[in-house]
Amino acid sequence: MPGPALTRRRLLSLSGLALGGVALSGCVSANDPASSGASGGTSEAPLKPGSAPSGEITIVDDNTNKLFQSSTIAAFEAATGIKVKSYSQGNFNDLHDRYATLFAAQDSSVDVVMTWAGWSAEFGQAGWLQELDTSAVPTDLIKPALDAVSWQGKVYGLPKFSSVQTMFWSKPLFEQAGVDPSAAPATWDEFVSTAKSLTSGDRYGYACDIGNAAGAYQNFLRVLLLNGGDMYDADYKPIFNSEQGVQALSNFVDLLQVHKVMDPSSLQITNASDLGDLFAKGGTGMVFNWPFQYAVATGSGSKLDASTVGNGLIPGMSVRSASIDGSEGFAINKFSKNKEAALAWLQFVATEGVQKQIVSQEGWFPVSEPVLTDPASVKALPVLTTYQESTQYATKRWGTPWSSELDQLMSVQIINAMNKKTTPKEALDTLATQTQALVDKYLKR
Amino acid sequence: MSTVSRADLRRRRDLRFGVGLSLPAVAVVVLLLGYPMGYALYMSGFSWNDKLGSYHPFVGLGNYRDLLVDPAVHRALGRTLYFSVFTVLGGVALAVLIAVLLNVEFRGRTLVRVLLLVPWAVPPVVNGIMWKLIFDGSSGIMNTILLGTGLVDERVQWLADPGLTMNVLVFAELWKLLPFLCLLMLAGLQGIPTNIYKAARIDGANGWQRFRRITLPNLRGPIMFALIVQSMWSLKVFDTIYVLTGGSGGPAEGTTTINFLAYLTTFSNLDRGYGASLAVAAMVLIVLVTLMWVLLLGRRREDREEAR
Repeated sequence: MPGPALTRRRLLSLSGLALGGVALSGCVSANDPASSGASGGTSEAPLKPGSAPSGEITIVDDNTNKLFQSSTIAAFEAATGIKVKSYSQGNFNDLHDRYATLFAAQDSSVDVVMTWAGWSAEFGQAGWLQELDTSAVPTDLIKPALDAVSWQGKVYGLPKFSSVQTMFWSKPLFEQAGVDPSAAPATWDEFVSTAKSLTSGDRYGYACDIGNAAGAYQNFLRVLLLNGGDMYDADYKPIFNSEQGVQALSNFVDLLQVHKVMDPSSLQITNASDLGDLFAKGGTGMVFNWPFQYAVATGSGSKLDASTVGNGLIPGMSVRSASIDGSEGFAINKFSKNKEAALAWLQFVATEGVQKQIVSQEGWFPVSEPVLTDPASVKALPVLTTYQESTQYATKRWGTPWSSELDQLMSVQIINAMNKKTTPKEALDTLATQTQALVDKYLKR
Repeated sequence: MSTVSRADLRRRRDLRFGVGLSLPAVAVVVLLLGYPMGYALYMSGFSWNDKLGSYHPFVGLGNYRDLLVDPAVHRALGRTLYFSVFTVLGGVALAVLIAVLLNVEFRGRTLVRVLLLVPWAVPPVVNGIMWKLIFDGSSGIMNTILLGTGLVDERVQWLADPGLTMNVLVFAELWKLLPFLCLLMLAGLQGIPTNIYKAARIDGANGWQRFRRITLPNLRGPIMFALIVQSMWSLKVFDTIYVLTGGSGGPAEGTTTINFLAYLTTFSNLDRGYGASLAVAAMVLIVLVTLMWVLLLGRRREDREEAR
C-alpha cells in the first residue's frame, strides 16, 4: 500500500515545523536564569588576584594608546609569563556596540575590554563585567580614575589613564590678535572677549565637538559645572535645569548665535580627535580638550610646538574653573575563561612603571598618585601642572547605566538650542523630565 | 494499474531526490535567515533590557503596543517616509529619465553607460565618508563651489542642521542607487521592439506621446521591480546614516529612521526586546509596502487575459 504522498502542502508544513523547532530551541535559554550571563555573574564572588596566574589573554582596546602594543605587552609577558594572544584596537565610537554584541552572545573569546565611567555603569549593571575584590585594587589610585571603573560602590576594572579636559590655546594666534599669549582668560567674560579678538574671516576663536550624542552631553556638562550647577542631587534627581544650568546653556548658545565666536562646524565635529586636529592646524584659537591635545599640537603635522601651545584651567562662569573627567580603564569580560590572567594585565597597566610611560610617551595623566606628584612627570608633561590645579575644582562625568539614552536625548535638545529652535530653558526642562523617567527606570532604589 | 503505480513511484522518487538536493540550501536559509528572524520575533515578546537585569518578563504584544504610542517611533516613521518618498519615487523617476536618454544613439554613449556604473562600484561606507567630506561645513568642497560661484555668502553647515542633513542623506543615497535602477530601466528599454516606435511615428505620435503610450507601459515590469527593491532598501537604510552622522543618527536625531532607531534601541540602549519589536515592525512595513506596489502595478487578471 503506497504511503502518503509528499505533497507541496505537506512539504511546507514540515518546513514550517522544522523552522519553528529551530527557533524555539534557540529561544528556550533566553529567559532561563541558569543561562543568563547576568545572573551567573551575580552569584559569583568578586575576583581576587590569583596566586600564580598563567595562560593567555585577548584584549580589545580603543585606539587611544600606542604604548601597549609597542612595549607594554612585551614587558607584561616577560614579567608574568602570561601570553597576550591578541591585542586589537577599535574606534571608540564603534566599541560600545561591539562589546554589547560580544557580551550579549556570552562570548568568552575576549578577556579584557576597555571601559570608562558610562560603560562601567552600563555593562556593570547588566552583569557583563567582572566585579573586582578590594584586594585586587591598588591602593595608590587617584579617586576620579577609580570612579571611571566603578558603579554604585562596585569596582569593575582598573584605570589605565586619567583624563581631564583643560584649555589649550594657540600663542601665535593670540599674538596676531593682540592678546597676551602667556596668560589664559581667567573668567568667562575674558574668554568671550578673547574669542572675539581671535575671530576673523573663516577662523573662529573657539571650537568644540557637539556633533555626536556623547559630545553634546560632555559640552553641556562642562558649561553646567563652570556655572556652579550639577547634573543630579544626592538621590539622582535631575537638577541641571536649575537657574545655573539654563544660564550656562544660554552662555554656550551665545558663543555661536550672539558673539559668533564658535566655529559653526562644531555642531558636526563628532570626536575630540577631529577637534584636536583642527586646533593643531591653526583652524581655531582655543579649545577645551583632553590631555592628548598637547601631544597632537606638538607633534608632526601641527603648526604649533611645545613653546607655542598654551595650557591652563578652563575659565569659569560663576566659579573659577571646572572640568569633566574622561578617564579610561580596562575591565574583565564576565564570560572570560582567563580572569586571573586578565586581572594581572589590569594590575600591570596600573603600575608606576607603565604609568610613567603613559605620561611621558603618550601625554595622558597617570592613575597612580606617586606618579602624579613625581616632579619628573611634570617635566615630561608640562600640562600635568594644570591637571594638578584642576583637582581643586569640580571635575565630574556622571557615568550611569542610562548614559547612552541620556546622550541621545541631550543631543536633540542641545542641538535644537544651539540652532535656536528652542530656548535653553525649554530644552533643559524637557530634558529633565525625560531624564527623570530614565532614572526611575534604571536606578534600583 | 501497475504502469500507473510505477509512474507514481518514479515521481515520488524524483521528488525525494529533489528535496534531498534542496535540503542543504534550505538549511542554510533556515539557519542564516529563519533562526535570527524567529529569535527576533521571540525577543520582541519580552521586556528584555539587559541593563534591567537577567529576568526578562514575557509581555506578549506589549512592546508593539508601546511602539504604536511612542513619539520617537512616530518621528522616525516620518523621517523614513520623507527619505523613502524621495529615494524611491524620485530615484525611479530619475532612473527612467536617464535610461531613456542613454537609450538614444549618441557618440560616447558606451562610455557614459560605463561611467554610470561608478557609484555602484563604491562601497556604501566609502560612499558615506565621501559625502561627509564633500559636505563638511568647514572644509567641504560643496561650500567652496557655492562660495566661489557666489550662490551663498557664508559656509553652509550641511551636517549641523537636522533638515539639511536629511537632504544630504537623500542626495547621497540617490547617487548610490541610481546606477542599479538605470541599468534595470535600460534593460527594460532594450526589450521594447523598435517597430512599435516606428509605427507610432508614422501615426504622428510626438515624443511625449511615444514615451507615455509605449515606453512607460512597457516598462511597467522593471518599474514595479525597481519600486519594490528600492522601497526595501530605503526602508532599511543604515550604512550611509551611520557613516555620515558618526553613528548617532543626528544631528538632533534628524536622520534616525525606523531601522536606525531599532539599531540605537538594541545596541546603544541594550533594550533588545523593544529593539526587536521595532525590527519586526520595520519588516512588516516593508512587506506591506511591497504588497502595495504589487497591487498597484501588478498585472491584473483582465490584463493577463487580454495579453493572451
